[in-house]
Amino acid sequence: MWLVRPVEAGDLQGVLSISGEQGARLSSTLPKQEEAVAAKIEHSIRSFAGKLRGGESARYLFVLENTDTGAIHGAAGIDAKAGNGQPFYNYRRDALIHASHELGVSRRVEVLYPSHALTDMTQLCAFAIDPALKGKAPFELLARARLLFVAENRERFSSRMVVEIQGVQTADGRVPFWDSLGRHFFNMDFDTADKHSGLLSKTFIAELMPPNPIYVTMLTAAAQEALGRPHELSVPSFELLQQEGFQPGCYMDIFDAGPVLEARTDSLRTVVTSHRSVLHAAHGEDGETCLISAGQDGDFRCTLTTLGETLKNEVKVPVKTWQALARSAGDEVRIAPL
Amino acid sequence: MLVIRPLLESDLDDLYLMAQNAGKGLTTLPADRDLLERKINHTRETFNQRCAPEAGLYLFALEDTELKQCVGISGIQARVGLDEVFYNYRLSVTVNASREMGVHVRTPTLHLSNDMTDTSEICSLLLSDSHRGGGNGLLLSRCRFLYLDSFRKHFSEKVFAEMRGVSDKQGRSPLWDALGSQFFDMEFSEADMLSGLGNKSFIAELMPKYPIYVPMLPDAARAVIGLVHDNTAPALKMLQAEGFNFNGLVDIFDGGPVVEAFVHNIRTVRESVHRHVLISRKPVDLDVATSERVMIANQSFRDFRVTTIPAHCIGPDTVTVPREVADVLLVESGDQVRLAPLKDAGPQALAASEESKEPGRAGRFHRDRAD
Repeated sequence: MWLVRPVEAGDLQGVLSISGEQGARLSSTLPKQEEAVAAKIEHSIRSFAGKLRGGESARYLFVLENTDTGAIHGAAGIDAKAGNGQPFYNYRRDALIHASHELGVSRRVEVLYPSHALTDMTQLCAFAIDPALKGKAPFELLARARLLFVAENRERFSSRMVVEIQGVQTADGRVPFWDSLGRHFFNMDFDTADKHSGLLSKTFIAELMPPNPIYVTMLTAAAQEALGRPHELSVPSFELLQQEGFQPGCYMDIFDAGPVLEARTDSLRTVVTSHRSVLHAAHGEDGETCLISAGQDGDFRCTLTTLGETLKNEVKVPVKTWQALARSAGDEVRIAPL
Repeated sequence: MLVIRPLLESDLDDLYLMAQNAGKGLTTLPADRDLLERKINHTRETFNQRCAPEAGLYLFALEDTELKQCVGISGIQARVGLDEVFYNYRLSVTVNASREMGVHVRTPTLHLSNDMTDTSEICSLLLSDSHRGGGNGLLLSRCRFLYLDSFRKHFSEKVFAEMRGVSDKQGRSPLWDALGSQFFDMEFSEADMLSGLGNKSFIAELMPKYPIYVPMLPDAARAVIGLVHDNTAPALKMLQAEGFNFNGLVDIFDGGPVVEAFVHNIRTVRESVHRHVLISRKPVDLDVATSERVMIANQSFRDFRVTTIPAHCIGPDTVTVPREVADVLLVESGDQVRLAPLKDAGPQALAASEESKEPGRAGRFHRDRAD
């Protein structure tokens, strides 16, 4: 059975094995270095326990576990505040009209402006999953379990949410946007910068980028092509998030120009369609499959279940689902359709 | 005899012909009759002090007195950027450093600037093909420094020149193609022509205002930033010999360098001497090699004249000139004139100067020769 639950200290190796499978991704908030992953796990545990130190913002990390084997097959996070107390860097794609009355000409000039406008918005991040599961039910479970957690703890999160989607990378690992822009200021390739990013923060790297706006026309053709486009491996996430209500806007990643999706938290499909119910036993495994979660903090659990009949505020689900959720009859759960 | 004098209304035909023959690239003097006429009128107003000093345009003609024809022109604009905005790119450096990451990267960056605003510019140098050589180009260019120094209050302390940047035979500029044309859908030659017609600031207003990071430009464009066109290389060399230096600014269209100097530091100014005119009744052999000639200028604001004479005419207190030279200079015996070397190599026959009562000034001539 597939289960999403808060990360625990013992998951370190499991998370490391997942993050190692991901492609180079400078802006991923799921690091690859053991030290950094351990720190992230520790921060998440304190976030769930409500034991944050002064000035820290909550960063939740969930894992996808196969309860039959105990193995970790994915991870996904929520940062309550994008930037985590530091500026959250993006480029905002905007346009200027260069016009002259005297010469009777006008030209649209596209510009990338460094922006911190998305700082402090709730950010979905650190998504990584066993490639074998991409596009399957556990993939949707992992991606959307976080949103059930948001629905359950709405007051902990901001009114708008953002997600960064990995940008275009060629088969040989080159990132056209980085090669056209960032590389000039770091004198290092994307992979090397990525390693630094794992040890330092993304903000740290971003602060080394040029503070001035960039004219799109000064970028190489390949880099212009990549603006706001997702990596082909990110397309399933991109599509799932769009179904959820996230939309690409004018913001993009400053390193690979991947799109930043935005949504109003209260309009997200999972938040709108999920509802609380009281748990009862079902005898068979008939009925449609849906997401079910229980718990609000460190005891949060989310899994897929078949849903028997639904009466008012009561749901009937198989007992093995109870066990996965560590709940029993009469306990409150949250249900969302797939 | 060849003499420098202020440009006159009657020079219009000669000037138009020269501008036509010059072709593209001389943006300050396009072959446009109405425009040239306006420039001449402006010049006349300036020399007659009927316009504000900062609006002055001083155009000098090189006249061949035998042909009674204007065969060259050079100019000084008293101030740039006052009635329109004067743009350059400043080539500066952005440093990106992180000790933690072991990064220390210097990025050449072009910043749009108006730094030359309110500065005097030397401009519009043009010499007809028939009169190339024999130091005529030097005379046209250097006579301006004597004028600048003699009438300093009309000019800024610093003076600059914009040098023509690199373009190919078809008139294509690599920098324009990579930068300007991205913002302004026009060929370089056309933009250049519009500039000459006085539309440069309009075009500039369509150019990018934010800094341009040079490494983002294609190699061909990067390579020409701060370089001059082959045809302009001799002019650059001449200005460098005068003490002009690249000041970090480049043309926003073709990337040609801006060179500047303080007037008091210009070599022609430093090495010039004053003498009183002594009109000789005996004939003076004026026909000597260019290397032995020096510039001689009167001190008139309205009727500035410069010609060249053999260096051996210079005495300790006086300069001995024949009547015809005094006539073209509009001077009489006893009037003060100013003399300065014409060639970089310096005059040969300044023996008289060495005995000068002004050893300091003579010494400058002398040192130059030793070089």
